[in-house]
Amino acid sequence: MSAAATVDEASSPSPASELLPRPTRESVLLRLALGLAGAALLGQASVVARVRPQDLLSGASGMADIVRRSVPPDVQHLQPALGGVLETFDIALLGTSMALVLSLPLAVLAAENVTPSRALYAIARGVIAVTRAVPDLVWALLFVTAVGLGPFPGVLALVVHSVGMLGRLFAETIEDIDMGPVNALRVTGASPIQIVSHAIVPGLLPSLIGIGLYRLDENVRSSLVLGFVGAGGIGFLILTAMNLFQYRQVATLLILTYLLVIGVERASAVVRGRLR
Amino acid sequence: MTSAILEIEELTKAYAGSGRRALDRVSLCVWPGELVVVLGPNGSGKSTLLRCAVRLVDPDDGAIRVAGQDLARLGGAELRQARRSVAMIFQQAHLIRRRTALANVATGALGRHHDLATALGWLPRAELLEAGRLLDRLGLLHLAHKRADTLSGGEAQRVAIARGLAQRPRVLLADEPVASLDPQAAEDVLRLLDQLARQEQLAVVCVLHQPELAVRYAHRLVGMRDGRLVFDVPATAADPSRIAGLYRAEAA
Repeated sequence: MSAAATVDEASSPSPASELLPRPTRESVLLRLALGLAGAALLGQASVVARVRPQDLLSGASGMADIVRRSVPPDVQHLQPALGGVLETFDIALLGTSMALVLSLPLAVLAAENVTPSRALYAIARGVIAVTRAVPDLVWALLFVTAVGLGPFPGVLALVVHSVGMLGRLFAETIEDIDMGPVNALRVTGASPIQIVSHAIVPGLLPSLIGIGLYRLDENVRSSLVLGFVGAGGIGFLILTAMNLFQYRQVATLLILTYLLVIGVERASAVVRGRLR
Repeated sequence: MTSAILEIEELTKAYAGSGRRALDRVSLCVWPGELVVVLGPNGSGKSTLLRCAVRLVDPDDGAIRVAGQDLARLGGAELRQARRSVAMIFQQAHLIRRRTALANVATGALGRHHDLATALGWLPRAELLEAGRLLDRLGLLHLAHKRADTLSGGEAQRVAIARGLAQRPRVLLADEPVASLDPQAAEDVLRLLDQLARQEQLAVVCVLHQPELAVRYAHRLVGMRDGRLVFDVPATAADPSRIAGLYRAEAA
């Protein structure tokens, strides 16, 4: 029975077989051209970036030397190192918290479904685009020039950049809210303020906290780098130790950095997991 | 005979850009204690009728009188107050997912309370107790402390009905309330609607897509097609061929 059906199918193609036409000459050529174009793109990138694998070999002994000179890690000066860790974390914490407070009203203006006016929408989207497009490292350079060395310009840099990042994510979250519960509450005769506090906020809160924690995690890593341009924290200590060739001190700082980054990442992942 | 609690008069609505009337001078009166089932093919205007009746959609013309007050003429605080006497349930329960069944039921009473007393998601203790009593009456008390997103479809829909009852409504509108439920849960929900009509003297209007359920539970059957009301008969007098005619391709 089934054998007969198979034979029948082979001799006269069913209309369904037309759903999968054989590739035409044009489509094959197009795929070939796309493949070649991709290879050319990567080729020019490695020329421009001056990729020289032999440098990795000749640099190997230098790397080995640095590794040799950084063991054992220096535990004599643990206290200033721990101070640096705290400073880095606090820069990220303050930067993220202040950005959270500032980005929420901005997100409401920049969310298409709740924005009070088109003009405010355009302005809010503009602010978000500019603060996001300029990297926090560049903001840090600007603020170090303006207010001087130290952790505070680092905080400012994170605030400005994070306002853009958070503002955009929050605006998208607000645009995606499920209008079902909102309408269901509206028809009970609830007031607009009650609808916001009982239907919109409970629906939004887990995403807001989740996005905020993820930003904190990102900002801890950012604030490390900000130290290299003089904006305080453990990054600044790493830079100083490198310049003085104190590799054992650098090793200690890197281990602490690793513990800080992993710690914050795990903590934020655990909290976000609980929020579902 | 007592007077109708819900009087829909010549209700008309054309959605912008559609070029045809979703509702064309529809009139319908519903008395307390009645379960009216509205049948009709997709696009016949059944849902629009209910959505207009609570002003989720604004009608172009006509009146929606609830206990004599015309909802079509109201706005702002007056509309909010009038809406409290009309409860509506949807195809999806639309509960607030992260809150308990009890809290969800209590939100039905928000309209009776001031913004300040209910800011930051607070619910008055008296309303939570009232919500508990409602859940108990519907045989759902065991669900009180379960989060809404852990309820089954049938449980969630009955909790949504309890939320509607927390409004202390006189009219209950149901827009395809059983469309996403399994047959057993659908029977449970319709039995509950019938019971609420009979025991609480609610005026219930329910849009359904299942003629066989409609014939079994309705006290009165209303047929709609192309935005018009084509029949309005007691369920005992329902003619199966007329119901089938609603769904035929060519105009009946």
